Amino acid sequence: MNFIGEHSLWALAGRFFTYLAFTGALGTAIFYGLNWLRPEACSGPDELGRPRPAHEPFLRAGRGAFALHSIGVVGILTVLLTAILSHWFEFDYVWRHSSRDLPLEYVFSALWEGQEGSFIIWIFWHAVLGWFLVRGAKTWEHGTMTVVGLVQLVLTSMILGIYVFGIKIGSSPFVLIRELPENLGLPWTTIKDYMIRIPAFRDGQGLNPLLQNYWMVIHPPTLFLGFAATLLPFAYAVAGWIERRPLEWVTPALPWAYFGVGVLGTGILMGGAWAYEALSFGGFWAWDPVENASLVPWITLVAAAHLMFIVKKKKTSGGLTAIMAMLSFLLVLYSTFLTRSGVLGDSSVHSFVDLGLNGQLMLLLGLFSVGSLILLLVRWRSLPRSSADEAFSSREFWLVIGSLVLLISAVQISFSTSIPVLNKLIGPEGLVPILGEAMAPPTDVFRHYHSIQIPVAIVVSLFMAMVPFLRWDSTPNALLKRILPSLIASLVLGGLAAWGLKFDQPMYSVLLITGVFAALSNLDLWLRYQGGGWRSGGQALGHLGFAFILLGALISNGKKVAISQNPVFLHKDFPANENILIPLGDTVSMHPYWVEWTGERVEGHFQLFDVNFYGTAEDQSPGKKLFSLAPYIQMNPRMGNVREPSTKHYWDRDVYTYVSFADMRSPEEKASGWSEEMDATMGRGEEVFVFEEYMMRCDSIIVKSAQMIEETGDLATLDMAAKLTLKHMDGRKETIEVPYGVRGNEATPGEAEFVNLGVKVRFDGVSDEPGRFKMKFWRKAPEEQEFILLQAFIFPYINVLWLGVVLMAVGTSLAVAKRIAGPKPSPKP
Amino acid sequence: MKRNHLIALVVMAFLAGALMVTIQDASTYATFEMASKKTPESVTVVGQLDLEEPITFNSSTSMLRFTAVDKDGARSIVYYNQPKPTDFERSEEITLTGLSSGDTAFFAQNILMKCPSKYADEAQFSSK
Repeated sequence: MNFIGEHSLWALAGRFFTYLAFTGALGTAIFYGLNWLRPEACSGPDELGRPRPAHEPFLRAGRGAFALHSIGVVGILTVLLTAILSHWFEFDYVWRHSSRDLPLEYVFSALWEGQEGSFIIWIFWHAVLGWFLVRGAKTWEHGTMTVVGLVQLVLTSMILGIYVFGIKIGSSPFVLIRELPENLGLPWTTIKDYMIRIPAFRDGQGLNPLLQNYWMVIHPPTLFLGFAATLLPFAYAVAGWIERRPLEWVTPALPWAYFGVGVLGTGILMGGAWAYEALSFGGFWAWDPVENASLVPWITLVAAAHLMFIVKKKKTSGGLTAIMAMLSFLLVLYSTFLTRSGVLGDSSVHSFVDLGLNGQLMLLLGLFSVGSLILLLVRWRSLPRSSADEAFSSREFWLVIGSLVLLISAVQISFSTSIPVLNKLIGPEGLVPILGEAMAPPTDVFRHYHSIQIPVAIVVSLFMAMVPFLRWDSTPNALLKRILPSLIASLVLGGLAAWGLKFDQPMYSVLLITGVFAALSNLDLWLRYQGGGWRSGGQALGHLGFAFILLGALISNGKKVAISQNPVFLHKDFPANENILIPLGDTVSMHPYWVEWTGERVEGHFQLFDVNFYGTAEDQSPGKKLFSLAPYIQMNPRMGNVREPSTKHYWDRDVYTYVSFADMRSPEEKASGWSEEMDATMGRGEEVFVFEEYMMRCDSIIVKSAQMIEETGDLATLDMAAKLTLKHMDGRKETIEVPYGVRGNEATPGEAEFVNLGVKVRFDGVSDEPGRFKMKFWRKAPEEQEFILLQAFIFPYINVLWLGVVLMAVGTSLAVAKRIAGPKPSPKP
Repeated sequence: MKRNHLIALVVMAFLAGALMVTIQDASTYATFEMASKKTPESVTVVGQLDLEEPITFNSSTSMLRFTAVDKDGARSIVYYNQPKPTDFERSEEITLTGLSSGDTAFFAQNILMKCPSKYADEAQFSSK
């Protein structure tokens, strides 16, 4: 049957490309694998130390399959983008994630808002990176590409959307709403022109307003490129260990590890920038499980990347390096599982909904984890044994220790983030009930993570400061003395800064000093001993950037000040209320500012609130006007309103503010002078205590008229009313009727007023429970005074953090460029 | 290799220490009754919003007052010193972290809501 206006051919094309990508991945894995696992290929280099020649036909077949796979992936992306751009709302994915009024730039955000879309972008990056292996991996091509093929096979299976023996395999973005299991067999799915007849197909649900932010256009693809980059070290490590080349693989993998460190690090903090600008939780990092899940693989990847130097230079630590490299990729898979399985529902604000793919996700994770573990165990003996201990003053010794410190950090973050998973496994209702009661995530996440992660950061920054000065094998004392100037300088500078900032926790002061030390010593090493050139700058700038990130995070968070303080305490252990009330036109004190709210205006679907900030004059009265901000509320009737902050950036601090409460009623409603909205569900004979001084009783529900459609027996029109009696505590009493009507599918809520008692009621409709009704009450405002609640914070030196991100990105790019450019005698420190 | 083993031991010890601290820090899921016994310890209570009771917000103190039902069906008045979260009434489950005042009320420091899938509107297709 041909459906009018439906693009079923495109859906078919999307499906076709999905299957093409899937079979292409299968072919890649099989042909490369066949070529690779020939007995002679697996026995390592030949007698003369040359790598064995590849088996040509299979190699060509493998490349061909990967080309088909890539065409499939690009095809999938093209079809999906076309569907979103053309507003084909018969596609379930398009209907769920976009709408007609979506600005063009957010089409991409809509593309990766859903799970299927984010899998696609991940698969896409893998395919792109795969071509670098095909072109440049040489003797490693068949090994690494077999791994890539297997990974792509598993990932594309996540978007297959087919049923095998009744088990759902993957979720396809090309399913038409008509084809959804819950709609199958419904009468409308057989109507030829259903697209025209059913109004719901005219527009989609739209993109979550939180994601309508420019950071959301670039954060997800960057993050996923970072995730994808962990595949290459993993693929090299697996190939190397299977081929009994457990050390050699690090040389080609090293640039990719640093590429991953740079891209993933930037991607994570872009997410931080988004959270800072678009979410009103007041900061760039919240230790949210989803953030943690992306941070942990970065930490292990940093450890792996640094360890690779030891393997390269000293031919030791091969085991630990392989573990870290494999762990990084496995942790990316684990983070995918955490964010997509719905297991974080209780503990995270932004986890995906469960698509019923948990089994598949777990299988994927288990397969790769167990496989890697077995490989490591079986081949551990092929590692060359080093008999001697590394010297205490050697670089390799401290790099190993440093990577173990990072491992501790990663394990701790993973553990706390995984509490919901642990409950599923060993909780009282879990698979193996060991725990007597379920563990809940820590109530104060900041205190919790900081108690471990701040000491770790102190140790890491000390290592960053000193290890670059060490030499391989051992370091003469004369060279060690080179650290002294920056040590002294940072003790003085950092000490002064810590004294000036007056942290309330001694650990923060220590981290400030070690962070300054890390920054200064790397700068000193680069400028004084490495010539200060770009070629040698990767290490110094990367470290400097990370030191800045630590310092910026420390100061901006540790010295974050809520300048909006309301002297109302809920509990002595809780912080003071950070919402301040500003009546319209008033100016209130927010030390060191005076803040005035001058009015509000509507622009598109933004409601902006204009606030002026004044300085404080000598007599403590408002001084001269300094700046204006316009925090706003993004109005979204479908998904709820979103509060968006507005920030004044100074070079040394940000003044950040958002409206935490505003009266969003329409001007007419406001003019009517009703306030204190309250909801209740009532049935006949029930009583509700309202506004803490009235008793509302539902005396009866009266049906005034009802008409049926004769053929179907459905209700055509219905007029009813609720008879309500309101009693004040002082004995005054009043009875009214509130009407409610239904015309076909349209319901008309009715309103009525208790004129003498000053309370208004709206009959909103029928509750889910039979015989009960939804009501809304307002009470007459004693006197009309418009106000907003505002929260405002000062984040000092947050620009240090953003500068750090840029420096780290530059540093890692230089490091990658240097490795790609090939070896060149580099000056020893 | 002796020193390497020593290092491994030290790292394991630190790791064990970090995990001990972590486990001790983990709070527990509680009911309102358990919460009142554990005061002043912070706990996490998972429950539902009681829509039959009033939800009021006092704007001058910026205090939200509502009633929640825990998993045992026990009700408690909850105070929260933030404005009402968006779509609060639509939540099908709320996770409160905070502490009990003893027996009268629960002071929430944080509220996390589980909302029905935002695709709930999709049901409109299946009903036609």
